[in-house]
Amino acid sequence: MIYLKEVSKVYNKSAKKALDNISVHIKPKEFVIFVGLSGAGKSTLTKLITHEEEPSSGTISIGGIDYSKLKKRDVPYLRRKIGVVFQDFKLLPRKTIYENIAYALEVAGIGGKTIRSRVPQVLKMVGLESKAKNFPKELSGGEMQRVAIARALVHDPKILIADEPTGNLDPKNAWEIIDLLLKVNEYGTTVILTTHNKEIVNALKKRVITLKNGKIIKDQEVGRYALQ
Amino acid sequence: MLFTTFYRLAKTGFVNFLRNGWLSLASTIIMTLTLITISVFLILNIVLTQGIQTIQDKIDISVYLKDSATSQTIFNMQKDLSNNPDVKQVNYITKDQAKQRYDTTFANNPQLKDSLDQSGNPLPASLEIKTYDPSKLASLMPMFDRPPYKDAVSKVSYQDNKQVIDRLFKATEFIKKVGWGLAIAFILTSLIIIFNTIRTAIYTHKSEIEIMKLVGANPWFIKWPFLIEGILYGVFGTALSLLVIYILLRLLSVSFNAYFGGGSTGDQVFGFLMQNLGPLLFLQLAAGITIGVVSSSVAIRKYLKKS
Repeated sequence: MIYLKEVSKVYNKSAKKALDNISVHIKPKEFVIFVGLSGAGKSTLTKLITHEEEPSSGTISIGGIDYSKLKKRDVPYLRRKIGVVFQDFKLLPRKTIYENIAYALEVAGIGGKTIRSRVPQVLKMVGLESKAKNFPKELSGGEMQRVAIARALVHDPKILIADEPTGNLDPKNAWEIIDLLLKVNEYGTTVILTTHNKEIVNALKKRVITLKNGKIIKDQEVGRYALQ
Repeated sequence: MLFTTFYRLAKTGFVNFLRNGWLSLASTIIMTLTLITISVFLILNIVLTQGIQTIQDKIDISVYLKDSATSQTIFNMQKDLSNNPDVKQVNYITKDQAKQRYDTTFANNPQLKDSLDQSGNPLPASLEIKTYDPSKLASLMPMFDRPPYKDAVSKVSYQDNKQVIDRLFKATEFIKKVGWGLAIAFILTSLIIIFNTIRTAIYTHKSEIEIMKLVGANPWFIKWPFLIEGILYGVFGTALSLLVIYILLRLLSVSFNAYFGGGSTGDQVFGFLMQNLGPLLFLQLAAGITIGVVSSSVAIRKYLKKS
């Protein structure tokens, strides 16, 4: 499903490597947690997978697509296959909750009929049917993150990347988000979660890959939080 | 599919325009001011150019002929002048016609009229010459100093009026240059202001553009709603500026009429607007939409570059 082979990323020539010779294989339907302190390379890793950044060296291939052969104009099509959830939600402020989710389908040219049946479905899944007509600024952080998840899932992606999705949330809301991710994974979507929340990592009992200074220092099938 | 996409882009553009509220209003007002500036300066320059044209049409020279000039020589001279591509019109004024004009001019002054009657008709026959471009009049002069016409010509009015004509010329050229200079300066200034306004409007949405890219939108899917917002600035700007110009001229024409007496200058200016309403509407709409689309397009380009 997801292959990274000897991937390194350097932002400035003089600076240290953000990622240093990383090789990972993530299988379909897996739930993988990337753990690391700030600056360990978690965000760089997700940016490489969504093609926001390109690796300085090494190869990345996802679902059979070799990133080195990907043309700039094909990037939007790639992104429609990967759902992404961010720490800062990244909702469109001028659109309602309904429109935010519908937008992910509109960009792909999906018909109005499909959109009208699909959007309420995902809204129901994240428990926000009643907020469809609200604007993002009228929602709480936890609700906004649920909208972001609904948007990431609306076009049935094979992969869902959640980059520190609980970073801005209180424990109760954080757990609601994690429960949602588990549910999504049960339905067959590969989930990649990056976090440095010890409690969540230890409770999940999933595969944990620990990053430190851009290197993988641990990769355990049922892992625990291993940083000080 | 194509229709659906078009509908979505147009709808998004409209909805964004409405939800932007103050920012849209500000951009539309700046657009209105830009269009008013462009229109007012264009109208002023057209009126000015027409005025100058009218004055220049009045500039001509008279070549006074000796009584001894033969009709053959006069005929040849007339033909030579007519064949000159710079010459617009040559009129032959006979002695009798000259007398008639004199009588008409001084109909109210019997003393002057009678003085001429008593001395027979001393007025010379003449050729009145107009050129397309009055500055070309000077180039006609040498032929009257050379044979075969030298002996037939008693005097050319140009020499007398040369200074006045030259001065008038310099003045009209100067006014034209200043008019267009001012117009260009004001239009450029307002273009820069509207461009910066639109650029600022798009800048405030730059994080949205990033999000749209991350969700998988094609560059044109991101760009078009912004271009439609630009078109709307142009359309509403046109409507508002026409309304403002209409009201201003209406008020102006009322006060003009009060000042100069009814049915005069004010009505003429207002009539000019009403006659040219179609072209003005078209011009403003074209200018407004072009400015809106080009500014938005240029402003958004930098945010769309990176994938």
